Amino acid sequence: MREHFILSWRVAMRHWSIFKKDFFANVLPTVVDPALFIVVFGVWLGSQMGDLGGRPYLQYMAPGIVSVTVLFTAYFESSYGFYVRLVYENIFKALMTTPIGPHEILTGEFIWVGLKGAIMALLVGIVLLLFGVAKPQYVWLMPIIGALLSIACGAMGLVSTGYVRNMNQFQTVYALLISPMFFVSGVFYPIEQMPKILQYLCYLSPLYHGVRLSQSALWAEGLLEAWLIHGAALLAITAVLVFWSWKKIYPKLYA
Amino acid sequence: MSKPSELVVEVKHVSKTYDSVPAVTDASFTIKRGECFGLLGPNGAGKSTLIRMMYGASSRTSGEMQVLGLDPQKNGRDLRRKIGIVTQEDALDEAMSVVENMQMFARFLGIPKDVAKSRIDELLAFMSLTHKSNTKIQELSGGMRRRLVFVRALLSDPELLILDEPTTGLDPAVRQLIWDKVEAFKRRGRTVLLTTHYMDEAEFLCDRLVIVDNGTIKLHGAPRALINEHCPGFVAIWSKSQIQAGDGDDVASAPNRRLERATLSELAEDLKREPTQPEIIRPTSLEDVFLKVTGRELGSNA
Repeated sequence: MREHFILSWRVAMRHWSIFKKDFFANVLPTVVDPALFIVVFGVWLGSQMGDLGGRPYLQYMAPGIVSVTVLFTAYFESSYGFYVRLVYENIFKALMTTPIGPHEILTGEFIWVGLKGAIMALLVGIVLLLFGVAKPQYVWLMPIIGALLSIACGAMGLVSTGYVRNMNQFQTVYALLISPMFFVSGVFYPIEQMPKILQYLCYLSPLYHGVRLSQSALWAEGLLEAWLIHGAALLAITAVLVFWSWKKIYPKLYA
Repeated sequence: MSKPSELVVEVKHVSKTYDSVPAVTDASFTIKRGECFGLLGPNGAGKSTLIRMMYGASSRTSGEMQVLGLDPQKNGRDLRRKIGIVTQEDALDEAMSVVENMQMFARFLGIPKDVAKSRIDELLAFMSLTHKSNTKIQELSGGMRRRLVFVRALLSDPELLILDEPTTGLDPAVRQLIWDKVEAFKRRGRTVLLTTHYMDEAEFLCDRLVIVDNGTIKLHGAPRALINEHCPGFVAIWSKSQIQAGDGDDVASAPNRRLERATLSELAEDLKREPTQPEIIRPTSLEDVFLKVTGRELGSNA
Protein backbone atom coordinates (compact mmCIF):
# COMPACT_ATOMS: atom_id res chain seq x y z
CA MET A 1 0.00 0.00 0.00
CA ARG A 2 2.82 2.37 0.90
CA GLU A 3 4.54 1.52 -2.37
CA HIS A 4 1.29 2.09 -4.25
CA PHE A 5 1.06 5.64 -2.95
CA ILE A 6 4.73 6.44 -3.53
CA LEU A 7 4.48 5.30 -7.14
CA SER A 8 1.13 7.04 -7.65
CA TRP A 9 2.62 10.24 -6.26
CA ARG A 10 5.44 9.95 -8.81
CA VAL A 11 2.87 9.62 -11.59
CA ALA A 12 1.15 12.78 -10.32
CA MET A 13 4.51 14.56 -10.17
CA ARG A 14 5.13 13.59 -13.78
CA HIS A 15 1.92 15.39 -14.76
CA TRP A 16 2.87 18.33 -12.55
CA SER A 17 6.30 18.70 -14.14
CA ILE A 18 4.71 18.79 -17.61
CA PHE A 19 2.16 21.37 -16.40
CA LYS A 20 4.87 23.45 -14.74
CA LYS A 21 6.82 23.65 -18.02
CA ASP A 22 4.14 25.92 -19.41
CA PHE A 23 2.84 27.27 -16.12
CA PHE A 24 1.93 30.75 -17.33
CA ALA A 25 -0.02 29.54 -20.37
CA ASN A 26 -1.72 26.87 -18.27
CA VAL A 27 -2.78 29.16 -15.47
CA LEU A 28 -3.65 32.31 -17.37
CA PRO A 29 -7.20 31.29 -18.47
CA THR A 30 -7.93 30.20 -14.91
CA VAL A 31 -7.27 33.67 -13.64
CA VAL A 32 -8.49 35.73 -16.59
CA ASP A 33 -11.83 33.94 -17.15
CA PRO A 34 -13.06 34.47 -13.58
CA ALA A 35 -11.89 38.09 -13.68
CA LEU A 36 -13.94 38.62 -16.85
CA PHE A 37 -16.92 36.92 -15.26
CA ILE A 38 -16.69 39.21 -12.27
CA VAL A 39 -16.43 42.36 -14.37
CA VAL A 40 -19.04 41.50 -17.01
CA PHE A 41 -21.68 39.69 -15.02
CA GLY A 42 -20.94 40.90 -11.54
CA VAL A 43 -19.99 44.54 -11.98
CA TRP A 44 -21.71 45.63 -15.20
CA LEU A 45 -24.76 43.38 -15.23
CA GLY A 46 -24.94 43.19 -11.45
CA SER A 47 -25.21 46.99 -11.14
CA GLN A 48 -28.54 46.77 -13.00
CA MET A 49 -29.87 44.19 -10.56
CA GLY A 50 -31.06 44.28 -7.00
CA ASP A 51 -29.73 42.16 -4.18
CA LEU A 52 -29.94 38.41 -4.40
CA GLY A 53 -30.27 36.29 -1.27
CA GLY A 54 -29.69 39.41 0.82
CA ARG A 55 -26.38 40.40 -0.78
CA PRO A 56 -25.26 42.38 -3.84
CA TYR A 57 -25.34 40.24 -6.99
CA LEU A 58 -21.56 40.42 -7.43
CA GLN A 59 -21.03 38.87 -4.03
CA TYR A 60 -23.73 36.33 -4.68
CA MET A 61 -22.16 34.88 -7.79
CA ALA A 62 -18.46 35.26 -6.91
CA PRO A 63 -18.01 31.94 -4.98
CA GLY A 64 -19.65 29.95 -7.75
CA ILE A 65 -16.95 31.12 -10.15
CA VAL A 66 -14.36 29.16 -8.16
CA SER A 67 -16.35 25.96 -8.55
CA VAL A 68 -16.99 26.55 -12.24
CA THR A 69 -13.26 26.99 -12.85
CA VAL A 70 -12.60 23.72 -11.07
CA LEU A 71 -15.29 21.94 -13.08
CA PHE A 72 -13.85 22.98 -16.42
CA THR A 73 -10.21 22.46 -15.44
CA ALA A 74 -10.82 18.99 -14.05
CA TYR A 75 -13.18 17.83 -16.78
CA PHE A 76 -10.85 18.88 -19.60
CA GLU A 77 -7.80 17.43 -17.87
CA SER A 78 -9.42 14.03 -17.45
CA SER A 79 -11.27 13.86 -20.74
CA TYR A 80 -9.18 15.38 -23.54
CA GLY A 81 -6.00 15.41 -21.46
CA PHE A 82 -6.24 11.81 -20.32
CA TYR A 83 -7.36 10.62 -23.74
CA VAL A 84 -4.32 12.22 -25.40
CA ARG A 85 -2.00 10.64 -22.84
CA LEU A 86 -3.70 7.28 -23.34
CA VAL A 87 -4.17 7.13 -27.10
CA TYR A 88 -1.82 9.60 -28.77
CA GLU A 89 1.16 10.01 -26.48
CA ASN A 90 1.18 6.39 -25.23
CA ILE A 91 2.49 7.72 -21.93
CA PHE A 92 0.91 4.93 -19.92
CA LYS A 93 2.50 2.22 -22.05
CA ALA A 94 5.87 3.74 -21.24
CA LEU A 95 5.02 4.10 -17.52
CA MET A 96 3.98 0.45 -17.40
CA THR A 97 7.48 -0.66 -18.33
CA THR A 98 8.49 0.55 -14.85
CA PRO A 99 7.17 -0.66 -11.47
CA ILE A 100 4.13 1.53 -12.10
CA GLY A 101 0.96 -0.43 -12.85
CA PRO A 102 -2.61 0.47 -13.84
CA HIS A 103 -3.70 1.17 -10.25
CA GLU A 104 -0.86 3.63 -9.77
CA ILE A 105 -1.72 5.35 -13.06
CA LEU A 106 -5.31 5.85 -11.90
CA THR A 107 -4.47 6.92 -8.35
CA GLY A 108 -1.81 9.22 -9.79
CA GLU A 109 -4.38 10.74 -12.11
CA PHE A 110 -6.70 11.49 -9.19
CA ILE A 111 -3.91 12.91 -7.04
CA TRP A 112 -2.95 15.17 -9.94
CA VAL A 113 -6.46 16.34 -10.76
CA GLY A 114 -7.06 16.96 -7.05
CA LEU A 115 -3.87 19.02 -6.78
CA LYS A 116 -4.69 20.95 -9.91
CA GLY A 117 -8.18 21.71 -8.58
CA ALA A 118 -6.69 22.87 -5.29
CA ILE A 119 -4.27 25.22 -7.04
CA MET A 120 -6.99 26.62 -9.31
CA ALA A 121 -9.44 27.13 -6.44
CA LEU A 122 -6.81 28.94 -4.42
CA LEU A 123 -5.83 31.19 -7.33
CA VAL A 124 -9.41 32.11 -8.15
CA GLY A 125 -10.10 32.64 -4.45
CA ILE A 126 -7.23 35.12 -4.39
CA VAL A 127 -8.58 36.89 -7.50
CA LEU A 128 -11.93 37.26 -5.72
CA LEU A 129 -10.20 38.67 -2.65
CA LEU A 130 -8.40 41.19 -4.83
CA PHE A 131 -11.74 42.28 -6.26
CA GLY A 132 -13.01 42.59 -2.70
CA VAL A 133 -15.96 40.29 -3.36
CA ALA A 134 -15.09 37.54 -0.89
CA LYS A 135 -14.39 37.38 2.83
CA PRO A 136 -10.81 36.35 3.60
CA GLN A 137 -11.12 34.32 6.81
CA TYR A 138 -12.03 30.99 5.18
CA VAL A 139 -10.14 31.31 1.91
CA TRP A 140 -7.84 28.57 3.19
CA LEU A 141 -10.76 26.17 2.72
CA MET A 142 -10.79 26.78 -1.03
CA PRO A 143 -7.97 24.33 -1.92
CA ILE A 144 -9.78 21.62 0.04
CA ILE A 145 -13.11 22.29 -1.69
CA GLY A 146 -11.27 22.62 -4.99
CA ALA A 147 -9.47 19.28 -4.60
CA LEU A 148 -12.64 17.41 -3.66
CA LEU A 149 -14.75 18.93 -6.44
CA SER A 150 -11.90 18.43 -8.89
CA ILE A 151 -11.67 14.72 -8.12
CA ALA A 152 -15.43 14.37 -8.71
CA CYS A 153 -15.30 16.31 -11.99
CA GLY A 154 -12.11 14.52 -13.03
CA ALA A 155 -13.89 11.23 -12.47
CA MET A 156 -16.67 12.47 -14.78
CA GLY A 157 -13.98 13.15 -17.39
CA LEU A 158 -12.55 9.66 -16.95
CA VAL A 159 -15.97 8.03 -17.13
CA SER A 160 -16.61 9.82 -20.42
CA THR A 161 -13.16 8.73 -21.63
CA GLY A 162 -14.32 5.21 -20.86
CA TYR A 163 -17.31 5.56 -23.18
CA VAL A 164 -16.20 7.72 -26.12
CA ARG A 165 -15.04 6.05 -29.32
CA ASN A 166 -13.04 9.05 -30.48
CA MET A 167 -12.04 12.44 -29.18
CA ASN A 168 -14.88 14.29 -30.96
CA GLN A 169 -17.46 12.57 -28.81
CA PHE A 170 -16.31 14.51 -25.77
CA GLN A 171 -18.26 17.36 -27.32
CA THR A 172 -21.45 15.34 -26.90
CA VAL A 173 -20.70 14.86 -23.22
CA TYR A 174 -19.90 18.54 -22.94
CA ALA A 175 -23.13 19.63 -24.60
CA LEU A 176 -25.41 17.23 -22.75
CA LEU A 177 -23.81 17.13 -19.33
CA ILE A 178 -21.11 19.65 -18.52
CA SER A 179 -22.69 22.71 -20.09
CA PRO A 180 -26.16 22.16 -18.54
CA MET A 181 -24.49 21.48 -15.21
CA PHE A 182 -22.71 24.82 -15.49
CA PHE A 183 -25.99 26.70 -16.00
CA VAL A 184 -28.23 24.98 -13.46
CA SER A 185 -25.97 24.35 -10.46
CA GLY A 186 -26.81 27.50 -8.58
CA VAL A 187 -23.83 29.58 -9.67
CA PHE A 188 -25.81 32.52 -11.07
CA TYR A 189 -29.06 32.25 -9.13
CA PRO A 190 -30.45 30.11 -6.28
CA ILE A 191 -31.69 26.76 -7.55
CA GLU A 192 -34.99 27.38 -5.74
CA GLN A 193 -35.86 29.52 -8.80
CA MET A 194 -36.00 26.40 -10.94
CA PRO A 195 -38.74 23.76 -11.32
CA LYS A 196 -38.67 21.12 -8.58
CA ILE A 197 -37.56 18.34 -10.91
CA LEU A 198 -34.45 20.30 -11.90
CA GLN A 199 -33.75 21.01 -8.27
CA TYR A 200 -33.72 17.28 -7.51
CA LEU A 201 -31.38 16.71 -10.45
CA CYS A 202 -29.15 19.40 -9.03
CA TYR A 203 -28.65 17.39 -5.86
CA LEU A 204 -26.84 14.84 -8.04
CA SER A 205 -24.53 17.47 -9.50
CA PRO A 206 -21.13 17.64 -7.84
CA LEU A 207 -20.89 21.23 -9.03
CA TYR A 208 -23.98 22.25 -7.04
CA HIS A 209 -22.50 20.95 -3.79
CA GLY A 210 -19.15 22.52 -4.65
CA VAL A 211 -20.89 25.86 -5.20
CA ARG A 212 -22.65 25.65 -1.85
CA LEU A 213 -19.38 24.82 -0.08
CA SER A 214 -17.58 27.70 -1.81
CA GLN A 215 -20.41 30.07 -0.90
CA SER A 216 -20.27 29.12 2.76
CA ALA A 217 -16.50 29.63 2.81
CA LEU A 218 -16.35 32.91 0.88
CA TRP A 219 -19.45 34.42 2.51
CA ALA A 220 -18.08 33.13 5.82
CA GLU A 221 -21.44 31.84 7.00
CA GLY A 222 -23.20 28.53 7.62
CA LEU A 223 -20.02 26.50 7.32
CA LEU A 224 -21.01 23.65 9.61
CA GLU A 225 -24.35 23.14 7.90
CA ALA A 226 -22.77 23.35 4.44
CA TRP A 227 -20.16 20.73 5.25
CA LEU A 228 -22.64 18.41 6.95
CA ILE A 229 -25.00 18.48 3.97
CA HIS A 230 -23.06 19.45 0.87
CA GLY A 231 -19.67 18.21 2.03
CA ALA A 232 -21.16 14.80 2.76
CA ALA A 233 -23.12 14.77 -0.50
CA LEU A 234 -20.06 15.74 -2.54
CA LEU A 235 -18.00 13.02 -0.85
CA ALA A 236 -20.65 10.42 -1.65
CA ILE A 237 -20.98 11.54 -5.28
CA THR A 238 -17.19 11.57 -5.62
CA ALA A 239 -16.92 8.05 -4.27
CA VAL A 240 -19.49 6.75 -6.78
CA LEU A 241 -17.87 8.56 -9.71
CA VAL A 242 -14.36 7.41 -8.79
CA PHE A 243 -15.55 3.81 -8.52
CA TRP A 244 -17.32 4.07 -11.88
CA SER A 245 -14.33 5.63 -13.63
CA TRP A 246 -12.05 2.91 -12.22
CA LYS A 247 -14.33 0.24 -13.68
CA LYS A 248 -14.26 1.94 -17.07
CA ILE A 249 -10.58 2.92 -17.35
CA TYR A 250 -8.80 -0.01 -15.73
CA PRO A 251 -9.53 -2.38 -18.66
CA LYS A 252 -8.13 0.22 -21.04
CA LEU A 253 -4.81 0.17 -19.20
CA TYR A 254 -4.60 -3.53 -18.41
CA ALA A 255 -6.39 -6.29 -20.29
CA MET B 1 26.85 -14.73 -11.33
CA SER B 2 24.66 -17.60 -12.52
CA LYS B 3 24.65 -20.95 -14.22
CA PRO B 4 25.09 -20.59 -17.97
CA SER B 5 22.21 -22.91 -18.76
CA GLU B 6 19.78 -21.08 -16.49
CA LEU B 7 16.40 -20.30 -18.01
CA VAL B 8 15.49 -16.63 -17.93
CA VAL B 9 12.05 -17.08 -19.45
CA GLU B 10 9.73 -20.07 -19.27
CA VAL B 11 6.44 -19.93 -21.11
CA LYS B 12 4.25 -23.01 -20.72
CA HIS B 13 0.99 -23.52 -22.62
CA VAL B 14 0.05 -19.87 -22.40
CA SER B 15 -3.22 -18.76 -23.97
CA LYS B 16 -4.96 -15.43 -24.04
CA THR B 17 -8.38 -14.41 -25.28
CA TYR B 18 -9.86 -10.92 -25.56
CA ASP B 19 -13.64 -11.13 -25.14
CA SER B 20 -13.49 -14.77 -26.28
CA VAL B 21 -11.39 -13.90 -29.36
CA PRO B 22 -8.15 -15.87 -29.12
CA ALA B 23 -5.00 -13.72 -29.33
CA VAL B 24 -2.45 -16.33 -28.27
CA THR B 25 -3.07 -20.07 -28.24
CA ASP B 26 -1.00 -22.59 -26.29
CA ALA B 27 2.38 -20.91 -26.62
CA SER B 28 5.39 -22.63 -25.07
CA PHE B 29 9.06 -21.68 -25.27
CA THR B 30 12.05 -20.97 -23.10
CA ILE B 31 14.81 -18.38 -23.26
CA LYS B 32 18.26 -19.17 -21.89
CA ARG B 33 20.53 -16.73 -20.14
CA GLY B 34 22.80 -14.89 -22.55
CA GLU B 35 20.94 -15.62 -25.74
CA CYS B 36 19.00 -13.41 -28.11
CA PHE B 37 15.60 -14.92 -28.72
CA GLY B 38 13.40 -13.81 -31.61
CA LEU B 39 9.64 -13.61 -31.67
CA LEU B 40 8.61 -13.21 -35.31
CA GLY B 41 5.25 -13.12 -37.01
CA PRO B 42 2.98 -11.04 -39.20
CA ASN B 43 1.14 -7.99 -37.88
CA GLY B 44 -1.55 -9.05 -35.44
CA ALA B 45 -0.03 -12.50 -34.88
CA GLY B 46 -0.03 -12.07 -31.10
CA LYS B 47 3.60 -11.04 -30.54
CA SER B 48 2.87 -7.85 -28.63
CA THR B 49 0.24 -9.59 -26.53
CA LEU B 50 2.79 -12.27 -25.59
CA ILE B 51 5.36 -9.63 -24.75
CA ARG B 52 2.95 -7.61 -22.63
CA MET B 53 2.05 -10.75 -20.69
CA MET B 54 5.76 -11.34 -20.10
CA TYR B 55 6.23 -8.12 -18.17
CA GLY B 56 2.87 -8.05 -16.47
CA ALA B 57 1.20 -5.36 -18.58
CA SER B 58 -1.45 -7.82 -19.72
CA SER B 59 -3.13 -10.80 -18.07
CA ARG B 60 -3.12 -14.33 -19.42
CA THR B 61 -6.18 -16.54 -19.71
CA SER B 62 -4.37 -19.80 -18.97
CA GLY B 63 -0.94 -21.39 -18.78
CA GLU B 64 2.16 -20.61 -16.77
CA MET B 65 4.91 -18.09 -17.11
CA GLN B 66 8.14 -17.39 -15.27
CA VAL B 67 10.44 -14.49 -16.08
CA LEU B 68 13.63 -14.25 -14.01
CA GLY B 69 11.97 -16.62 -11.60
CA LEU B 70 8.91 -14.42 -11.11
CA ASP B 71 5.35 -14.78 -12.32
CA PRO B 72 4.73 -11.55 -14.27
CA GLN B 73 1.05 -11.56 -13.44
CA LYS B 74 1.66 -11.74 -9.68
CA ASN B 75 4.99 -9.95 -9.32
CA GLY B 76 4.94 -7.57 -12.27
CA ARG B 77 6.10 -4.64 -10.19
CA ASP B 78 9.23 -6.40 -8.88
CA LEU B 79 9.90 -7.95 -12.26
CA ARG B 80 9.84 -4.61 -14.05
CA ARG B 81 12.61 -3.34 -11.76
CA LYS B 82 14.89 -6.03 -13.21
CA ILE B 83 14.07 -5.92 -16.91
CA GLY B 84 14.22 -3.27 -19.61
CA ILE B 85 11.57 -2.79 -22.26
CA VAL B 86 11.90 -0.96 -25.55
CA THR B 87 8.27 -0.33 -26.43
CA GLN B 88 7.00 -0.08 -29.99
CA GLU B 89 6.05 3.54 -29.38
CA ASP B 90 8.72 5.98 -28.22
CA ALA B 91 6.31 7.69 -25.77
CA LEU B 92 8.86 10.24 -24.60
CA ASP B 93 7.73 13.50 -23.02
CA GLU B 94 8.07 16.06 -25.80
CA ALA B 95 8.30 19.13 -23.62
CA MET B 96 11.12 17.77 -21.47
CA SER B 97 14.80 17.49 -22.26
CA VAL B 98 16.64 14.23 -22.83
CA VAL B 99 18.10 14.21 -19.34
CA GLU B 100 14.83 15.24 -17.68
CA ASN B 101 13.02 12.37 -19.37
CA MET B 102 15.60 9.90 -18.12
CA GLN B 103 15.65 11.35 -14.58
CA MET B 104 11.91 10.94 -14.40
CA PHE B 105 12.11 7.28 -15.36
CA ALA B 106 14.95 6.73 -12.90
CA ARG B 107 12.60 8.03 -10.20
CA PHE B 108 9.87 5.62 -11.31
CA LEU B 109 12.40 2.82 -10.99
CA GLY B 110 13.42 4.04 -7.53
CA ILE B 111 17.07 4.58 -8.51
CA PRO B 112 18.82 6.94 -6.07
CA LYS B 113 19.61 10.36 -7.54
CA ASP B 114 23.42 10.11 -7.62
CA VAL B 115 23.39 6.59 -9.05
CA ALA B 116 20.86 7.73 -11.65
CA LYS B 117 23.00 10.67 -12.67
CA SER B 118 26.11 8.63 -13.42
CA ARG B 119 24.10 5.87 -15.07
CA ILE B 120 22.27 8.30 -17.33
CA ASP B 121 25.59 9.90 -18.39
CA GLU B 122 27.09 6.51 -19.05
CA LEU B 123 24.12 5.26 -21.07
CA LEU B 124 23.80 8.46 -23.10
CA ALA B 125 27.45 8.00 -24.03
CA PHE B 126 26.82 4.32 -24.83
CA MET B 127 24.02 5.29 -27.25
CA SER B 128 26.04 8.25 -28.64
CA LEU B 129 23.60 10.84 -27.31
CA THR B 130 25.76 12.79 -24.87
CA HIS B 131 25.76 15.87 -27.09
CA LYS B 132 21.95 15.94 -26.94
CA SER B 133 21.64 15.77 -23.13
CA ASN B 134 19.86 19.08 -22.77
CA THR B 135 17.92 19.04 -26.02
CA LYS B 136 14.13 18.90 -25.92
CA ILE B 137 12.62 15.69 -27.28
CA GLN B 138 10.65 17.59 -29.92
CA GLU B 139 13.96 18.61 -31.50
CA LEU B 140 15.30 15.05 -31.80
CA SER B 141 15.24 12.97 -34.99
CA GLY B 142 13.44 9.63 -35.10
CA GLY B 143 16.71 7.75 -34.78
CA MET B 144 17.77 9.74 -31.73
CA ARG B 145 14.42 9.17 -30.06
CA ARG B 146 14.78 5.46 -30.61
CA ARG B 147 18.27 5.46 -29.12
CA LEU B 148 16.91 7.37 -26.14
CA VAL B 149 14.22 4.73 -25.64
CA PHE B 150 17.11 2.24 -25.40
CA VAL B 151 18.71 4.41 -22.72
CA ARG B 152 15.40 4.40 -20.88
CA ALA B 153 15.14 0.62 -21.12
CA LEU B 154 18.70 0.17 -19.85
CA LEU B 155 18.31 2.48 -16.81
CA SER B 156 17.46 -0.42 -14.53
CA ASP B 157 20.67 -2.24 -15.55
CA PRO B 158 18.40 -5.06 -16.69
CA GLU B 159 19.07 -8.79 -16.76
CA LEU B 160 16.65 -9.12 -19.65
CA LEU B 161 16.01 -6.63 -22.42
CA ILE B 162 12.73 -6.87 -24.31
CA LEU B 163 12.76 -5.19 -27.72
CA ASP B 164 9.39 -4.71 -29.39
CA GLU B 165 10.15 -3.76 -33.01
CA PRO B 166 13.16 -1.65 -32.00
CA THR B 167 14.28 -0.58 -35.48
CA THR B 168 11.02 -0.06 -37.37
CA GLY B 169 11.25 3.06 -39.50
CA LEU B 170 14.95 3.72 -38.90
CA ASP B 171 17.64 4.38 -41.45
CA PRO B 172 20.31 1.71 -42.07
CA ALA B 173 22.99 3.55 -40.12
CA VAL B 174 20.89 3.79 -36.96
CA ARG B 175 19.81 0.17 -37.33
CA GLN B 176 23.45 -0.87 -37.54
CA LEU B 177 24.26 1.16 -34.42
CA ILE B 178 21.39 -0.43 -32.54
CA TRP B 179 22.46 -3.91 -33.61
CA ASP B 180 25.98 -3.20 -32.32
CA LYS B 181 24.56 -2.09 -28.97
CA VAL B 182 22.36 -5.17 -28.66
CA GLU B 183 25.39 -7.36 -29.38
CA ALA B 184 27.42 -5.45 -26.79
CA PHE B 185 24.64 -5.95 -24.24
CA LYS B 186 24.62 -9.68 -25.01
CA ARG B 187 28.37 -9.96 -24.62
CA ARG B 188 27.90 -8.96 -20.98
CA GLY B 189 25.99 -12.21 -20.51
CA ARG B 190 22.58 -10.54 -20.60
CA THR B 191 19.49 -11.86 -22.35
CA VAL B 192 17.50 -10.30 -25.18
CA LEU B 193 13.99 -10.93 -26.46
CA LEU B 194 13.44 -9.38 -29.88
CA THR B 195 10.40 -8.92 -32.10
CA THR B 196 10.97 -7.52 -35.53
CA HIS B 197 9.57 -7.50 -39.04
CA TYR B 198 13.06 -7.39 -40.53
CA MET B 199 14.21 -10.90 -41.25
CA ASP B 200 17.80 -9.81 -41.82
CA GLU B 201 17.75 -8.33 -38.32
CA ALA B 202 16.43 -11.56 -36.82
CA GLU B 203 18.93 -13.63 -38.78
CA PHE B 204 21.80 -11.42 -37.63
CA LEU B 205 20.87 -11.01 -33.95
CA CYS B 206 18.93 -14.10 -32.89
CA ASP B 207 20.42 -17.32 -31.58
CA ARG B 208 17.02 -18.96 -31.63
CA LEU B 209 13.57 -17.81 -32.64
CA VAL B 210 9.94 -18.75 -32.98
CA ILE B 211 7.58 -17.76 -35.77
CA VAL B 212 4.06 -16.99 -34.55
CA ASP B 213 1.00 -16.82 -36.77
CA ASN B 214 -2.63 -16.42 -35.71
CA GLY B 215 -1.60 -16.66 -32.08
CA THR B 216 0.10 -20.04 -32.51
CA ILE B 217 3.82 -20.87 -32.58
CA LYS B 218 4.50 -22.42 -35.98
CA LEU B 219 8.26 -22.89 -35.93
CA HIS B 220 11.03 -22.98 -33.38
CA GLY B 221 14.78 -23.12 -33.91
CA ALA B 222 18.05 -21.40 -34.84
CA PRO B 223 17.79 -19.16 -37.94
CA ARG B 224 20.32 -21.14 -40.01
CA ALA B 225 18.80 -24.47 -39.03
CA LEU B 226 15.31 -23.26 -39.96
CA ILE B 227 16.51 -22.13 -43.39
CA ASN B 228 18.26 -25.45 -44.00
CA GLU B 229 15.25 -27.40 -42.88
CA HIS B 230 12.43 -25.51 -44.60
CA CYS B 231 13.81 -23.95 -47.74
CA PRO B 232 17.45 -24.77 -48.32
CA GLY B 233 19.19 -23.61 -51.46
CA PHE B 234 18.46 -20.83 -53.89
CA VAL B 235 15.52 -18.82 -55.14
CA ALA B 236 14.90 -17.14 -58.48
CA ILE B 237 12.53 -14.18 -58.55
CA TRP B 238 10.77 -12.61 -61.52
CA SER B 239 9.43 -9.12 -61.01
CA LYS B 240 5.85 -8.33 -61.97
CA SER B 241 6.85 -6.21 -64.96
CA GLN B 242 8.85 -9.11 -66.36
CA ILE B 243 5.91 -11.49 -66.07
CA GLN B 244 3.60 -9.05 -67.79
CA ALA B 245 6.08 -8.51 -70.57
CA GLY B 246 6.62 -12.24 -70.97
CA ASP B 247 3.13 -13.76 -70.76
CA GLY B 248 0.69 -10.96 -71.15
CA ASP B 249 -2.30 -12.84 -69.70
CA ASP B 250 -3.98 -12.56 -66.28
CA VAL B 251 -0.94 -11.52 -64.30
CA ALA B 252 -2.03 -8.02 -63.45
CA SER B 253 -2.87 -9.01 -59.89
CA ALA B 254 -0.11 -11.57 -59.48
CA PRO B 255 2.87 -10.76 -57.28
CA ASN B 256 6.48 -11.59 -58.06
CA ARG B 257 7.01 -15.10 -59.29
CA ARG B 258 9.45 -17.28 -57.41
CA LEU B 259 11.23 -20.56 -58.06
CA GLU B 260 13.06 -22.36 -55.28
CA ARG B 261 15.53 -25.22 -55.69
CA ALA B 262 17.85 -26.97 -53.24
CA THR B 263 21.01 -26.46 -55.29
CA LEU B 264 22.24 -23.90 -57.77
CA SER B 265 22.71 -26.52 -60.52
CA GLU B 266 19.13 -27.77 -60.14
CA LEU B 267 17.89 -24.21 -60.40
CA ALA B 268 20.05 -23.56 -63.47
CA GLU B 269 18.66 -26.70 -65.11
CA ASP B 270 15.06 -25.58 -64.61
CA LEU B 271 15.78 -22.02 -65.71
CA LYS B 272 16.80 -23.32 -69.10
CA ARG B 273 13.15 -24.09 -69.79
CA GLU B 274 11.98 -20.57 -68.84
CA PRO B 275 11.06 -18.09 -71.58
CA THR B 276 12.34 -15.13 -69.52
CA GLN B 277 15.23 -15.17 -67.12
CA PRO B 278 14.59 -14.04 -63.51
CA GLU B 279 15.60 -10.63 -62.25
CA ILE B 280 17.27 -11.98 -59.10
CA ILE B 281 18.85 -15.25 -58.04
CA ARG B 282 19.91 -15.44 -54.40
CA PRO B 283 20.45 -17.91 -51.56
CA THR B 284 17.30 -18.51 -49.54
CA SER B 285 16.99 -16.60 -46.28
CA LEU B 286 14.86 -16.40 -43.18
CA GLU B 287 12.47 -14.28 -45.20
CA ASP B 288 11.64 -17.30 -47.39
CA VAL B 289 11.04 -19.44 -44.30
CA PHE B 290 8.79 -16.75 -42.87
CA LEU B 291 6.74 -16.44 -46.04
CA LYS B 292 6.37 -20.18 -46.36
CA VAL B 293 5.38 -20.76 -42.75
CA THR B 294 2.93 -17.90 -42.45
CA GLY B 295 1.29 -18.78 -45.78
CA ARG B 296 2.09 -15.36 -47.17
CA GLU B 297 4.22 -16.94 -49.85
CA LEU B 298 2.24 -15.38 -52.64
CA GLY B 299 2.51 -16.71 -56.17
CA SER B 300 5.14 -19.28 -55.35
CA ASN B 301 5.60 -22.05 -57.79
CA ALA B 302 8.40 -23.95 -56.12
